[in-house]
Amino acid sequence: MSDFLTQTVLIATVASAIRLAVPLLLASLGETFGQRSGVLNLGVDGIMLLGAFGGYFTVLRTGNVWLGLLVGVLVGLVLGVASAVMAVTLQAEQGISGIGIFLFGLGLSDLLFQRLVGTPLPISSFPKLAVPGLSDIPVLGEMLFRHSVIVYIAFLGVPLSMFIINRTTFGMNIRAVGENPEAADSLGVSVTAVRYATVSIGGTLAGVAGAALAIDLGIFQQNLTNAAGFIAVALVYFGAWRPLGVMAGALLYGFVNALVLQFKTLGIIPRSWSDIAAMAPAIITILALVLVASRFRQPAALTKPFTRGA
Amino acid sequence: MKRRRNSWVAMAAVMMLIVAACGGDGDATTTTASESAGGASAESFRIAIVAPSASNDLAFTQSIVDGVEAIRGERGNVQVAITDGTFNVDDAAAALRGYAEDGFDLVIAHGSQYGGSLQEIAPDFPDIAFAWGTAADTFGLSNVFAYEAASDEGGYVMGVMAAALSETDVVGVVGPIEVGDAKLYVDGFAAGVVAEEPATTVNINYTGSFSDVALASEAAQAHASASADVLTGTAQMVVGAVGVADELGMLWFGTQANQTSLAPEIVVASQVYRWEVILREILTNIDAGTLGGEAFVIDFDNGGLVIEYNDGYDLPADVRQKADDTIAGIIDGSITTG
Amino acid sequence: MPQTPMLEMKGIVKRFPGVLAADHVDFDVLPGEVHTLLGENGAGKSTLMNILYGLQEADEGEILLNGKPAEIHNPTDAIALGIGMIHQHFMLVDTLTVAENVALGLKSGRGALTDLDAVSARIEELAERYGLEIDPQALVWQLSVGQRQRLEIIKALYRDVHLLILDEPTAVLTPQEVDQLFVTLRQMTDDGRGLIFISHKLHEVLALSDRITVLRHGAVAGNTTSEGATRESLAEMMVGRQVKLAPDKPPVEIGPAALQIRGLTVISDRGIEAVSSLDLEVRTGEIFGIAGVSGNGQRELAQAIAGLQEAVAGSIHIDGQETTNLRPAEVRSRGLSYVSEARMREGVIGEFTVSENLLLIDHASEQFVNRGLFDFKAIRSHCEVLVGEYAVKTPTLDTPARNLSGGNIQKLIVARELAGSPKVLVVAQPTRGVDIGAAEYIHARLVDQRSENAAILMISEDLDEVFALSDRIAVMYEGQIIAVVKPGETTREEIGLMMAGVRPTDSRHG
Repeated sequence: MSDFLTQTVLIATVASAIRLAVPLLLASLGETFGQRSGVLNLGVDGIMLLGAFGGYFTVLRTGNVWLGLLVGVLVGLVLGVASAVMAVTLQAEQGISGIGIFLFGLGLSDLLFQRLVGTPLPISSFPKLAVPGLSDIPVLGEMLFRHSVIVYIAFLGVPLSMFIINRTTFGMNIRAVGENPEAADSLGVSVTAVRYATVSIGGTLAGVAGAALAIDLGIFQQNLTNAAGFIAVALVYFGAWRPLGVMAGALLYGFVNALVLQFKTLGIIPRSWSDIAAMAPAIITILALVLVASRFRQPAALTKPFTRGA
Repeated sequence: MKRRRNSWVAMAAVMMLIVAACGGDGDATTTTASESAGGASAESFRIAIVAPSASNDLAFTQSIVDGVEAIRGERGNVQVAITDGTFNVDDAAAALRGYAEDGFDLVIAHGSQYGGSLQEIAPDFPDIAFAWGTAADTFGLSNVFAYEAASDEGGYVMGVMAAALSETDVVGVVGPIEVGDAKLYVDGFAAGVVAEEPATTVNINYTGSFSDVALASEAAQAHASASADVLTGTAQMVVGAVGVADELGMLWFGTQANQTSLAPEIVVASQVYRWEVILREILTNIDAGTLGGEAFVIDFDNGGLVIEYNDGYDLPADVRQKADDTIAGIIDGSITTG
Repeated sequence: MPQTPMLEMKGIVKRFPGVLAADHVDFDVLPGEVHTLLGENGAGKSTLMNILYGLQEADEGEILLNGKPAEIHNPTDAIALGIGMIHQHFMLVDTLTVAENVALGLKSGRGALTDLDAVSARIEELAERYGLEIDPQALVWQLSVGQRQRLEIIKALYRDVHLLILDEPTAVLTPQEVDQLFVTLRQMTDDGRGLIFISHKLHEVLALSDRITVLRHGAVAGNTTSEGATRESLAEMMVGRQVKLAPDKPPVEIGPAALQIRGLTVISDRGIEAVSSLDLEVRTGEIFGIAGVSGNGQRELAQAIAGLQEAVAGSIHIDGQETTNLRPAEVRSRGLSYVSEARMREGVIGEFTVSENLLLIDHASEQFVNRGLFDFKAIRSHCEVLVGEYAVKTPTLDTPARNLSGGNIQKLIVARELAGSPKVLVVAQPTRGVDIGAAEYIHARLVDQRSENAAILMISEDLDEVFALSDRIAVMYEGQIIAVVKPGETTREEIGLMMAGVRPTDSRHG
């Protein structure tokens, strides 16, 4: 145990938690927009996978990580709009259509990878950025301010999302549409337009999350996300549909994972317990967040399609 | 209007399913390669492979595909069909049964998790030869061969080199779940390290997943923070760990396939499986009318295990000598890997 | 010189499959007037207003605003033309603040950012001018029903609506809240705004309207003014024949208490104490009316009497026998009949036929069973008698109940429940959502039961009904009966105050 209390290990654990949280955070921030407006998109993981492949392939060919991230944005946007068509215009049952999008993304990303790349080849990752000044703070600086650029981008998304949801008319429309679409409609707020926008934002951020994952790992593989998109959807529920809650959930999940890895590495968790310990992050995160989330109510119109006068 | 909308939904759903199914072929891709385009297929030997991950995963699945391809090159007139990406055991079972019904001469179930299914399927097709690995058990069935790799032998050699190369005297292992081939390799590696340098610490981290690349990557980070400077790992998710090793300048030892292409500067060597060694024997058996009942092992002695060095890495001659001596010792029995 | 109407709807036609919902309807509104649309459910009021507000499109006809043709395809068009609508169910977002609800759908003074401080300031101005006290920062779910209604008005005022549609705005208000609302509405017409008032509460219509248009079966049945109309004349126009709004009640000798409740406490499904140590007695030959705003424990009281909800404390006696927490069938066998307010959920089985529904309770009675088998002939004649006697309009006895209108389903339930000559009858909202003709009929049958010495407990939110039928009126508030009064010795206003929780002075009590 004393090994764990060394500064190096502590710093490494927190830094690892932050890295693990990034794709989850990006995807669940996006999903927060959709769910606040009443649309559940279970296809996040599929969009992440296609974003991941798109980003990976672009970097593989061009060597430009920002171009890769941009392709993640575009792939996510296209799939976000497709998700909106299914959920909003066609009013498909949201759980089912989301699973459809997931399977589509899982299959197509692997198919494209096999056809266009084949054997996993490494690509370059995002540049690291030591935040001037802040990164020199002892311990904290090393934990928090010496990360890939994408880490800062992801965490800046939290206050930005809060601002959009709470301080803009668009955000107010999102909250209204997710809670009482009839009332919003009666005041001339287009439920359809708001939901298209939020689901597209959700798709875009899922695409970014996937691209960020692949580029940060510097590799692509079949089912690279390993169901991270589903965890992201769950984090939105457990984060009580609030960006801060979602961030707390993503960090907690990342932290427990990082902690378990450190404990295993240092032999604090015996190897015979290894498999059980691997489940700890999911279990602890669910327990902790259920305790918090049970005090909040979900958007009243979540998963309910809207038809005027129905 | 309502009705029309429903039909649109149905149409969209069908489209999705079609694409997903096509993509699903990417998951569980079925490919057939024929040696001769000329239609000699009536006499050709037909081999089917069902495997869990992608056939070019630079790891477990690729090893058997490469092995069968080698056999095809040797014998000629061999047809190969592959269904890969069948993490789902039920999908694998369906594929195995399908190949048996199609009358393939040899159906390979490449994954210890397929054993239960094979035990049910094989008795239904007494005229078809099955091979199952990695495993030692033929279930007492006369049409099932078992095969495995003595990956502990390669692991041991890697361990000896790792101990010799580590300057911090800490080496790290990234494993999936502590079973089968992975356990064999990791245990052999640890034994090799300790035999070479008893004071060296071996940190072993089984992440609990064969597929979580991000977690494997963070496991490598954890090893780094515990001051490891040499890493190894097994199963397909290690690509994440290799990336971290590359970034942080740690050395890497690969297994199951040659992983040099993942990080040409830091991969020292890879243990490579040459399944063709025992496939050759299995085919000889089948030609002679024996469809199973025997278990095979690839090892250094029969040439099924090979250490492939990365020419781009400047391995000190004395370390290379130690590796060669160790292999010789394993072959002549003077070194045991346990 | 006659004023130009601010709204003219000319020759509006709207067809739904099998129904002509609007049949060449003409309707207009002058500046500064309240023009009421009156009609039974399904008469076409809502259709007409939905067309005006852009929620539905007319098949034929035109709409003129201030003499100019207007195209209204959606609520946004309507709002832009200065039309507002207050819906029967509040169109409010519970999780947003008052100010946010007002700002919703409007351009913000700060571009993409909300400008809630400015909105709040304007709300406070309007609130002061119209006497609509409200906290702009409050979240809507924290507001009382009356405050929510005020917020709806403020939303309309904020948008400077010239023409405001009010679709049954008083349905959930106490009489005092209705009075307040009417004061505000009059202020609005004084500003020159036009109001369209939709209601079926005749005394409210007479109190507020300048002009009244009555719709029947999608067509205009008549036009009148408040001065030129009475409740009876309006009801006659709505139904198309003479209607008796209050049944004749022959004198009946009041007997002993047939329903006695002592200290009854019931926990609601939501886990709160809905009925708290409640006492009451209903004697044979009387109709005991319970008035109150819904949600004050009336539903749980009725359910507990019927054995459908557990009494956690207290006792219930029917005809001298204790029935507390007996199973529903046992309670019925002691002489109780129960007409639930949840007509479709608890009153009938929609998939069952009319005759099956009529027989739901008595199916094991000797009268209908012969050597263990149903005696279909006896059943048929029994059902034919009931359907005839209670004027249930149904194509056949084998028609599924769900195909009947609300009024006929209610008559069916009443027919079944009264058939056994109950000793105690509990009826909840007997005529809610029922057309006037059916309501008249049901009222007459309840009075018949009273004449036959049944003890009747009637729960109703309709004060007209409570006054017309009750021998004694109890007001229920927060799970308790806070007063019992005789209809001749009280006023609507007094009952209204009690419904809002104001206890009467001791001198009047008891």
